[in-house]
Amino acid sequence: MRLNNKTIRSYLFYSCLIYLLTIPLFYFVMRSVLLHAVDKSLRSQLKEIRSNLGEIHSQEELTAWSKLDKDILLSPADGPIKDRIYSTTRYSPKHREEEPYREIAGTINVEGKMYRLVVSSSLIENEDLLGSILLVQSIVLFLLICGMLWINQRISKRLWQPFYVALRNMQQFELNKQTDLPFLSTTTDEFNELNKAMKNLFSRNSEIYLQQKEFTENASHEMQTPLAIYQSKLELLMQTSPLSEEQADLINDLNDTNRRLIKLNKSLLLLTKIENNQYQDVYDVEISALCKKLIQQGQSLAQEKNIIIHGDFPETMVVRVNNVLIEVLIGNLLSNAIRYNTDNGMIIVRTERDALVIENTGVPVALQAEKIFTRFYKLTGPAGNEDSTGLGLAIVKNICTLYNYTISYAFIEGRHIFRLDLHDGVIRQGAGS
Amino acid sequence: MKILIVEDEQELMKSMATYLKSENFVCEEATDYATARQKIELFTYDCILLDVSLPDGNGLMLLNELKENRKTDGVIVISAKNSISDRIQGLNLGADDYLSKPFHLSELNARILAVIRRRHFQGQHILVFNELTIDLTAKTVTVHRCPVELTRKEYDLLVYLAYNKNRVISKNAIAEHLSGDEAEIFSNYDFIYSHMKNLKRKLQQAGCGEYIRSVYGMGYKFDV
Repeated sequence: MRLNNKTIRSYLFYSCLIYLLTIPLFYFVMRSVLLHAVDKSLRSQLKEIRSNLGEIHSQEELTAWSKLDKDILLSPADGPIKDRIYSTTRYSPKHREEEPYREIAGTINVEGKMYRLVVSSSLIENEDLLGSILLVQSIVLFLLICGMLWINQRISKRLWQPFYVALRNMQQFELNKQTDLPFLSTTTDEFNELNKAMKNLFSRNSEIYLQQKEFTENASHEMQTPLAIYQSKLELLMQTSPLSEEQADLINDLNDTNRRLIKLNKSLLLLTKIENNQYQDVYDVEISALCKKLIQQGQSLAQEKNIIIHGDFPETMVVRVNNVLIEVLIGNLLSNAIRYNTDNGMIIVRTERDALVIENTGVPVALQAEKIFTRFYKLTGPAGNEDSTGLGLAIVKNICTLYNYTISYAFIEGRHIFRLDLHDGVIRQGAGS
Repeated sequence: MKILIVEDEQELMKSMATYLKSENFVCEEATDYATARQKIELFTYDCILLDVSLPDGNGLMLLNELKENRKTDGVIVISAKNSISDRIQGLNLGADDYLSKPFHLSELNARILAVIRRRHFQGQHILVFNELTIDLTAKTVTVHRCPVELTRKEYDLLVYLAYNKNRVISKNAIAEHLSGDEAEIFSNYDFIYSHMKNLKRKLQQAGCGEYIRSVYGMGYKFDV
């Protein structure tokens, strides 16, 4: 839920509560105030009648007076009763409905005779008044709340705009893509500070990332020379005599270790070069021809394990890409398919619409698809792994990222399937050779 | 044969000089651009080993100097960068070969010999070891004057061993030499066994002495 909506929700909840509470409260308060006023007026009427009773001297006069005033009801009483005020309803033939009345009942003494006197007052006008007041109040309250919400919404939107821009910047920020992200300048101090902090963070991160990239590349380059020295010394050591078998074994092991170091270093260098976008020359490369060439090169390795490689290229496919990288990409996949294969296994390399698929037999369990493309992830177990740098598929992934290709892995019917989707990378596709 | 090594890393220089001296090369050393330039102006070398990154200049500039002075020294460019642009630039400037660090000394030796052969013998050169004759121009091998049919890899292997005669060559050096730069992805260190086995068998069948011997599984040696 949006921050703005969250605050508004609280306001709205509170406003509605007040709104709902106020209306009945207001109603009852108004009603009691009005009733009180009516009661007061009834009491004063009764008092006035009593004080004016001296002017009435006969029974006839009394009856005539009571008949003239519709709000007065006179009936004989047995004895004095206490004044009492109460609410009642009376049928009104004019409106054909029960109407509310307030009445006061008391006794009066005319010429020594006791009468019960009821003075009544219609409440119908009061009810109408109350209704009108309530209606007006409801409308005012409703407008107030709506207005507040509307203003709040509008102001918030404008007020939070820099925040949302900053948020979008943060979402779009990519370390390896250096772009100047547009921050919105604002008069709100907090947002200005936020923008400043974020700008700082971005530039510092980019700087560190650049340094890191440079460091990896420089480190790999610097490593070449000591590795060369080390290798040359080993070769000289091999020439010394006498050389015992024990020493020869040790030299052999050192040689293998050094070879691994060299390979690792080369892979790291390649990886950083890809990340640093140092392979910018692009050529039109025909995929099936390249595959055939690589299959040819891999034959000697495949023959060791008696692996058969099938190539199935129904269509030619031209991709605009750096020639070295595409060779490394497909070469790594093919090399893996050979190295992690079983004896007498097989490999199928085929092109599909905008895609290249490499299927191979191998270990009878699926690989962890989410892990195999990470750096230095190595399979434990299968033969052919001793020499692995753990960087082969990471390099594949990096090249794919560079060109917006997709590489995916599946394990179907005992076969490991790597699928390279070239998407828009394919510039021409035609009937094949 | 006189060789100039231009390399700023002392230890690597020492290794290269030691290996090449025992191959009966006369080695001179230059650890910076200025010294190298001086030496190139004063003397003529059969081969110059040129490191690209020198503390006081780019080694490739020396290639320009050589061209201007119409010198015909053979040059092998050695670079730590293994970048294609370096390689192309070096070869365009007139270098004879390119080697990227790290390299095997036996590979370096073979390349130097190949460069010298191309320059001094107008490409014609024959290696003779008793009954074994290798014609480097025609790429043929004969034993007791009878031709021996070798595959391309077997021939390359024999020449490599012959260039580095009486030295122990590591399996890695042989494997890398045979697979070349192209098939680095498929580098395979086991396949040299079968090539070696076939080569030995073919030579033996032709009546050649057993010059190739394995050294404790560490490498091979061409003993003559």
